[in-house]
Amino acid sequence: MGIETFPVLSLIVLSPFVGAILLLIEPQRWYYAIRLTSLFFALLSLLGSLYVFAYYDPSLGGFQFVERYPLIPALGISYHVGVDGISLVLVLLTAFILVAGVFASWTIPLRSKEFYILLLLLVTGVFGVFVTLDLFIFFLFYELAVLPMYLLIGVWGSSTTIPPKGPFKTAIREMGVGGKEYGAMKLTLYLLFGSAFILVGILGIYSISGAGTFDYQALYGVEIPSHLQNWLFLLFYVGFGTLAGVWPIHTWSPDGHAAAPTATSMMHAGVLMKLGAYGIIRIGMGLLPEAAHVFSPVIGTIAIVNIVYGAFGAMWQRDLKYVVAYSSVSHMGIVMLGAATLNEMGINGSVFQMFSHGIMTGLLFALVGLVYEKAHTREILKMGGFARCMPGIATFFAIGGLTSLGLPGLSGFVAEVLVFMGAWKSKYSWWLVPAVFGAFITAVYVLRVLKWIFFGPFEKKEHIVDASGVEWIALLLLSAILVVMGLYPKLLLDPIDVATVEFLGKVLR
Amino acid sequence: MLKPITLEIVLVCGALGVFFMDLFLPSRKKKILGVFVLLSLVAAMGLSFLNIHYGSFFETFINDPFSISLKRIFLLAAGLTVMGSITHSELRLGRREGEYYFLLILSLIGMMIAVSARELLLLFVGFELMSVPLYVLSGFDKRNPKSVEGALKVFLFGTVSSSLLLLGIGLFLATAGTTRWIPGDSPVSMGEPLGVIALAVLFAGFGFKIAAFPFQFWVPDTYEGAPTPFVAFLSVAPKVAGFGIIFRFFFEALEALSSVWTLYAVWLSALTMIVGNLLALPQRNVKRLLAYSGIAHVGYILLGLASGSQLGLTMSVFYFIAYLFSNMGAFLVAEVVHRSTGSDDLDAYRNLNHRSPFLALAMLVFLLSLGGIPFVIGFWAKLYIFLAAIDAGYVFLVFLGALLTVVALFYYLNLARKMYIDEGKEEARVSIPFDLYLSIGVCAAGVVLLGIYPKWVVQIAEKAVSVFLGY
Repeated sequence: MGIETFPVLSLIVLSPFVGAILLLIEPQRWYYAIRLTSLFFALLSLLGSLYVFAYYDPSLGGFQFVERYPLIPALGISYHVGVDGISLVLVLLTAFILVAGVFASWTIPLRSKEFYILLLLLVTGVFGVFVTLDLFIFFLFYELAVLPMYLLIGVWGSSTTIPPKGPFKTAIREMGVGGKEYGAMKLTLYLLFGSAFILVGILGIYSISGAGTFDYQALYGVEIPSHLQNWLFLLFYVGFGTLAGVWPIHTWSPDGHAAAPTATSMMHAGVLMKLGAYGIIRIGMGLLPEAAHVFSPVIGTIAIVNIVYGAFGAMWQRDLKYVVAYSSVSHMGIVMLGAATLNEMGINGSVFQMFSHGIMTGLLFALVGLVYEKAHTREILKMGGFARCMPGIATFFAIGGLTSLGLPGLSGFVAEVLVFMGAWKSKYSWWLVPAVFGAFITAVYVLRVLKWIFFGPFEKKEHIVDASGVEWIALLLLSAILVVMGLYPKLLLDPIDVATVEFLGKVLR
Repeated sequence: MLKPITLEIVLVCGALGVFFMDLFLPSRKKKILGVFVLLSLVAAMGLSFLNIHYGSFFETFINDPFSISLKRIFLLAAGLTVMGSITHSELRLGRREGEYYFLLILSLIGMMIAVSARELLLLFVGFELMSVPLYVLSGFDKRNPKSVEGALKVFLFGTVSSSLLLLGIGLFLATAGTTRWIPGDSPVSMGEPLGVIALAVLFAGFGFKIAAFPFQFWVPDTYEGAPTPFVAFLSVAPKVAGFGIIFRFFFEALEALSSVWTLYAVWLSALTMIVGNLLALPQRNVKRLLAYSGIAHVGYILLGLASGSQLGLTMSVFYFIAYLFSNMGAFLVAEVVHRSTGSDDLDAYRNLNHRSPFLALAMLVFLLSLGGIPFVIGFWAKLYIFLAAIDAGYVFLVFLGALLTVVALFYYLNLARKMYIDEGKEEARVSIPFDLYLSIGVCAAGVVLLGIYPKWVVQIAEKAVSVFLGY
């Protein structure tokens, strides 16, 4: 088998799956073997992704590394994978977060074997979604990416207490808001609610197109009548939008992410939310271009609400993890805004923001996990002066936070500038004003959190120490990427741009 | 070439054998009865694969691939029930095991006759033979007041359904002038109002058996009180039989009225899905929960009928098989848990993962399948039904169904949460008797393996409904 035909995408997708199977037969007491197995298969995926990234040829464009095997010919279902510039970046993101996540959950105390099995299964689903070019298989992988979440949060998650007050206090008490069971159930139900929409949409496209195939590329050329396009697009927008944290169906995200264990939050906020945005761009806009034009003002306006509402939401929180979770809602607004501009710069920015935010939020959740582990609290007001005893964590937190508020030199800046310029050039240039205002609010809450936690008066406590051992690796890896991509964004923008131009060629026709 | 009613004759012999053996066996050896019944079921199953003569009695009793496939489903359901009943009957039924198995087989024979009938009076006889033993079996645990209550309910509802059926048959006779029908030659046409009324009344009569809304009231109470392995049977076989009768009668005899009955099916489907799923939400008793979830599943199967197409029918048959394994498996797990803790309450499942990892995993698989999650057979069942319905143009109905799946997942996951996440106090391990181990294992294997390779089931289903080709 030559290097050209080596099924590298299948390797990326299947290696976590094989890892999960291997873990299944390892006994619980092999502490290091479990972790090293997970790490090995995670690194294998990362190597594959780097290979794909390095050898993807932007001058050719289109889908590369394609593999195709028919599975159910009668229904037109096949295992068809390939990457273009957009999915390439997201595969790379997933691989990075996976490796970081394995390190971040190194010290997980209880039932670590099952934890890693579920994590690897989840990642298999995520990789699968990004590389598959068959809508049906896409849906299968999507479900695989959603379901392990329930157990991951329910078993290994953490609860916080939210004092029941306000008009809904009975409901808050009865449902156990803030608890991990509540977060797990809410997240799972919301995402499955979304997947019901997606399933109907996919079956609808299959039936309406009359092509008898679920293949993305085959459907790409099919013209769908415009009134039906609108309905289908709405289905996809609501379905994927749920996962992407689109306002007002984002409410699962803060509860779910706050309740989830560290690696799961990293994976979910870092990668899975991108999966929703990816679905809207790739399937919603790609297959239904006319509807994309009709709905882009709505998407953009809701994205603005996301940015501002998420930022204010983050400012309001007293729980550190909720702050990061709400900031994700806000940043996903930037992604959606970029997508709604429907111009080259905006969509480039949108994809770049997916990558940048994925890495950044992964870093932040890893740090929050570490802080919680050391300080045993997530209440911002109970912390203070931690920079003295955990200087390393404070530094990395500052890097993550500054990326979040868009400091030049870090990757968040590149993404935000691209999106904002795209918004300015679009038909609705007024979008720029609230978006920039949202970025300003971001700066406010990020700096406030930094000040409260790491500076100010400090009470010396024995157990509050800096990160140690393998924990550093995850932090170093992620912040290095943020800096590199901030200084040399061309690395990612080249392949993204090719895909964007192709994509717009179809949409703007 | 075997005679057309060979399978039924074999089972009658089995029933008589049980009846007489029961008289002479000493009470501690009654386990043999269960094994004997199982053997006769296996024999009938084996015979069903041989070449059986197509029709007899002036073509009123036919063995086409459709009825043979359904008979295999009944035999499978009965086999799993008997497998799960052997130790149950020993513990709970005192010395009445003989009657239990005897009635079970009689009901089975009734179903087999009913799905083969192409004549309404024969159909009615089969229908009654199926129903009457079910009334008795529902109240078999006679010291339990709930069981008696459930039996009375199913009896009252059942007799009403039988009388509706008779009324329908009378109306049909009045319009068509015959109680027989020949496929492709519809005896009733659209212009006759009496025919449409007959259709509605007959649909109502069958609706009781398949437990579609608004005829579902007996279901939860009966399930709660009856012996659990029998409930596993009751929740699957009579429903499949009811659907089998409906499919044959509607597609063959009332083809001309298809626009009417698809409309009924659409509404019944929507209402049944909504009512079943929403009423399952507040349930605290696992058997009642599964009862309501079973009602919801009937709604999904009705979606296949509503499509009124070959594809819809195929996918309904697929759904039967998926539902058989998942639902029976879930009930059998409930039986084991009940035997260990003496309760069917949701809280009895707390921390089941520690008390018996096998049982918890099996239940999880069944719940995922019932909820329609990928990689287990229930997913394909739902997907194919949706595909058929979308093909027939019922996008809105599919949308409703897909949303209600999420509602269903809430109560399924709630149970999964009890098993895996909630901490429980008691740590006593659950012991699983061998017979239940086997039957649960078969169900779980069916759910998982057929979920990985559903094509085989699709082929079976396609072959089964090939007889309706062209209608």
